[in-house]
Amino acid sequence: MAESQDPSKKQLIPASSLSPDKVHTWPHLVRNEFIVGLIAMIGITIWSIVIDAPLEEPANPTRTPNPSKAPWYFLGLQEMLVYFDPWMAGVVLPSLIIVGLMLIPYIDVNPKGAGYYTFRERKFAVSMFCFGFLVLWIFLITVGVFLRGPGWNFFAPWQEWDPHKVVALTNVDLNMWVAQTFGLDFLRGEVMAALFGLGLIGAYYSVGVTFYLWKGKANETIQKLGPIRYGIVAFLFLTMMALPIKMILRWTLNIKYICKLPWIGLNI
Amino acid sequence: MNLIQLKAKYEEIRKLVVESYVWKSIFRHGYKDTPRNRILMTASNVFLHLHPSKIRRHGIKISYTWCAGGLTFLFFLILTVTGVILMFYYRPVAEYAFIDMKYLQFDVPFGMIMRNMHRWAAHGMVILVMLHMFRVFMTGSYKPPREFNWIVGVLLLVLTFLLSFTGYLLPWDQLSIWAVTVGTNMARATPLLGNEGPLAEQMRNLTGLITPRYDARSLLTAGTIVGAPTLLRFYVLHCIFIPIVAAVLMIVHFWRVRKDGGISGPL
Amino acid sequence: MSSTIPESQTLIKKGDERNLWTRREFFGFAGWGAFLSAIGLGLMGFLRMLFPRVLFEPIPIFQAGKPSDYVDGEVSEKYKEEQRVWIERNAGKIIAIQAICTHLGCTPRWLGLESKFKCPCHGSGFTKEGINFEGPAPRPLERLAIRLNDEGDLVVDKSKKFLYEKGQWEDPDSFVVL
Repeated sequence: MAESQDPSKKQLIPASSLSPDKVHTWPHLVRNEFIVGLIAMIGITIWSIVIDAPLEEPANPTRTPNPSKAPWYFLGLQEMLVYFDPWMAGVVLPSLIIVGLMLIPYIDVNPKGAGYYTFRERKFAVSMFCFGFLVLWIFLITVGVFLRGPGWNFFAPWQEWDPHKVVALTNVDLNMWVAQTFGLDFLRGEVMAALFGLGLIGAYYSVGVTFYLWKGKANETIQKLGPIRYGIVAFLFLTMMALPIKMILRWTLNIKYICKLPWIGLNI
Repeated sequence: MNLIQLKAKYEEIRKLVVESYVWKSIFRHGYKDTPRNRILMTASNVFLHLHPSKIRRHGIKISYTWCAGGLTFLFFLILTVTGVILMFYYRPVAEYAFIDMKYLQFDVPFGMIMRNMHRWAAHGMVILVMLHMFRVFMTGSYKPPREFNWIVGVLLLVLTFLLSFTGYLLPWDQLSIWAVTVGTNMARATPLLGNEGPLAEQMRNLTGLITPRYDARSLLTAGTIVGAPTLLRFYVLHCIFIPIVAAVLMIVHFWRVRKDGGISGPL
Repeated sequence: MSSTIPESQTLIKKGDERNLWTRREFFGFAGWGAFLSAIGLGLMGFLRMLFPRVLFEPIPIFQAGKPSDYVDGEVSEKYKEEQRVWIERNAGKIIAIQAICTHLGCTPRWLGLESKFKCPCHGSGFTKEGINFEGPAPRPLERLAIRLNDEGDLVVDKSKKFLYEKGQWEDPDSFVVL
């Protein structure tokens, strides 16, 4: 047998050369994890020794504290309650947040950015997520924790919480505001108001459709998404933006409801 | 005898122990730092074999993952240990809950630090799970083939919030019941399932259900008010039900990390 | 040319005879020492945590009426239900006998007709004095501290026991002389 074919004389190479960019988990990864874990343990132990967890007065079902705040991680949702009814702010929007989060991998067709940090290659995805997470979620939590006081009024961090502070809130529904501003009295009626509201909402979401028809053919990403995925992305995006839009409408024009449907017990 | 002799004696005893039959039956490989042992440390250890024996170099960089996921799990373990310790003294009964909190804090040795650690680790875990989600998004580690694991992660996020929320009620102080009142009141606004939500009237006409006694909210509060039954229900949810579900999902989550190709990285 | 996989080499050099330990060995000891100390302290802390500093148990001291309430030569079961104690007035003395069988802790019965305490669990029998004479009970019933307060009431303290076999029934705190 030729030497090169003799199994006992085969070239042997170290196994580590087959995957040169790999290192042993033990010790390298485990060591790093151990150190980080150790620091975390020391940190939380010192924190727990120095700062006591709060314990207020015993539960009293007859006396509600003012303000009555949900746990801090839900304060974003509680803040939304100012602008939307409970069914929307407390059920529909949180459910859409969860469903929307779950759908992210299926609507993100951009192959770039897997396994490393980048903004340039994933501008839309990163901007959307940061807007939703940092601006809406985190920022609203900060507002709820630090800036909301008795009666859910605004208080600057240095201001004293006055439980008797009264802020005149003359809210007006959108149909009324439009009727008053533009003299369109036919909008004052309940049915017309509802139709007007529904029409506006329809028009709002149809912006997504319009965009698709306008830019769809030319845009590579939209082509890759396809109509169904694009529809989901557009719906989630527009719903997410509905929150700041409603907030701005409330702050500037004191708008309360866009659309009132008392027959089924819901107002948007 | 001087230190050198002491050390020699120590070496002698050590040799006797680590070469004994009993020792070798427990610790099956040596501690010498050989490549074989390095592999075995991972592959033959019940806890560590969650990890692959070898890992890509960028995966061990703390500035890649920030250990956010690992720390979330560490905090979950801290919460389990401190939680079990607290269970030795806490009674989930409206009459006793608050008193037991005071008892734990002042009459039980180390009770204060255990309670504090439990509370702060809970907040820490919520923050860390959100940071972990942020990191996974920023490194695109939900892209194929890791889509399903992202979904499991979102479920774990929801479960973390629910664990924190159910635990919030247990001290039974003013903060507890009113925070939970605010939270559970949202449930009665659920469309179709809440007695004050949209279409509730229609549901009542159709099914006779969705009254204040039978709706999504009273399912949570075990009654029409946040009271003693709510406390017991939240206690069981907090200590048994949700942790078991979360543990199962964590098993799936960690398994999928390996199955989907280990820690994500540039191709 | 064939090359072989390099032989596994131990990467630790043991301290040689002139040095007690290498830097690596030192940190090895320190690391294991710290780990074992942490585990040990944790275990001790856990054990200590299981013994609370304050116990909320019922007060062991109670009042048992006046000596005149008791008939000479009789065993009163007035406080048996609530306090698990017999008050006995006999030969010019009032004593408080704990109604706990010294065998395994059941509550015996006073059988007046047979003038003995009889335990239903395993048949231990005690005389009117409390001396064990039949059945498996290893020692007599225990007596409790009893005294008269300023108003002339009997006061029993269940936390102070007097055992016959230690000669403690002679202790004046274990009876009230009339």
